[in-house]
Amino acid sequence: MLIPRRVKHRKQHRPDRSGAAKGGTRVVFGEFGIQALEHSYVTNRQIEAARIAMTRHIRRGGKVWINIFPDRPLTKKPAETRMGSGKGSPEWWIANVKPGRVMFELSGVAEPVAREAMRRAMHKLPMKCRFVKREVGEA
Amino acid sequence: MSEVRIAAELRDEFGKGAARKIRRANKVPAVLYGHGTEPKHLTLPGHELLLALRTPNVLIRLHGEGVDEIALPKGVQRDPIKGFLEHVDLLLVKRGEKVVVEIPVTVVGTTNGSAIVDQPLNTLSVEAEATHIPTGVEIDVDGKEEGYVVHAADLKLPEGTTLAGDPEALVLQVIAAPSAGLPEEGEAAAEGETAEAAE
Repeated sequence: MLIPRRVKHRKQHRPDRSGAAKGGTRVVFGEFGIQALEHSYVTNRQIEAARIAMTRHIRRGGKVWINIFPDRPLTKKPAETRMGSGKGSPEWWIANVKPGRVMFELSGVAEPVAREAMRRAMHKLPMKCRFVKREVGEA
Repeated sequence: MSEVRIAAELRDEFGKGAARKIRRANKVPAVLYGHGTEPKHLTLPGHELLLALRTPNVLIRLHGEGVDEIALPKGVQRDPIKGFLEHVDLLLVKRGEKVVVEIPVTVVGTTNGSAIVDQPLNTLSVEAEATHIPTGVEIDVDGKEEGYVVHAADLKLPEGTTLAGDPEALVLQVIAAPSAGLPEEGEAAAEGETAEAAE
């Protein structure tokens, strides 16, 4: 599972969920991609589940790129705990994904196979997504 | 390459308020610069510009009051979700002038067996005459085996076009499918069952 090797601060504020993606909004490495249409925190488990769903469907052949990295910790207080006495302990690692961001890319397979693989992967992700293709030469 | 004629209006209102007003009228704010001249702020028709920009490095003839120039798209800002144009940077060019542009690299054909194409470079930086920019470069990978490599210098460019980037840059390679080592769906399920039984 994806996890940072070392972090400067163990606990962080919750990431900003406003606005759209500033970069990474196009398919650049592969031929097809999954683009986020909503804001969401994507956990490392969800990223891994989506990757597995995709690679299991394409079987032999194809290459998958993961363009997001879960570099932000989210904390949680234990159940039935009184308020106060400091911030909870880190529970999840998440990637802060904004609308427009291409999260996964795929190449080396036919379009129908890529569509189905990505549809399966989208079911593992917490936001509305869409299938996108690389635009050849469009400025 | 043919030119696309687009009617342009000079713009004298700036800032996000004015830009949003222009976009609401289905137009696109743009800027035209180059050759050491003062930048010209323009308003262009949204739909016509969108269609024109479908061609890579399209030569645009701007005409209108106070504007009669030919230009190339230098930077295009689009809405990442809806895809409409937010702003366009246009570079002023002259006939016969050499310009450095990015042309698309397209792959045709299918590789031999399970090998797949890894294409690190989707565009190639070339120097060409502004009015004769090639539409793209094609690489045929039909029947190519694993280990086939294409560098920028190996590509055959049209006459009058020279490579502007690194000639040693890797454009394309045929590699073995990286997921070839993964277990198949049936195999994975069987493993899972064994693991549960062991517990």
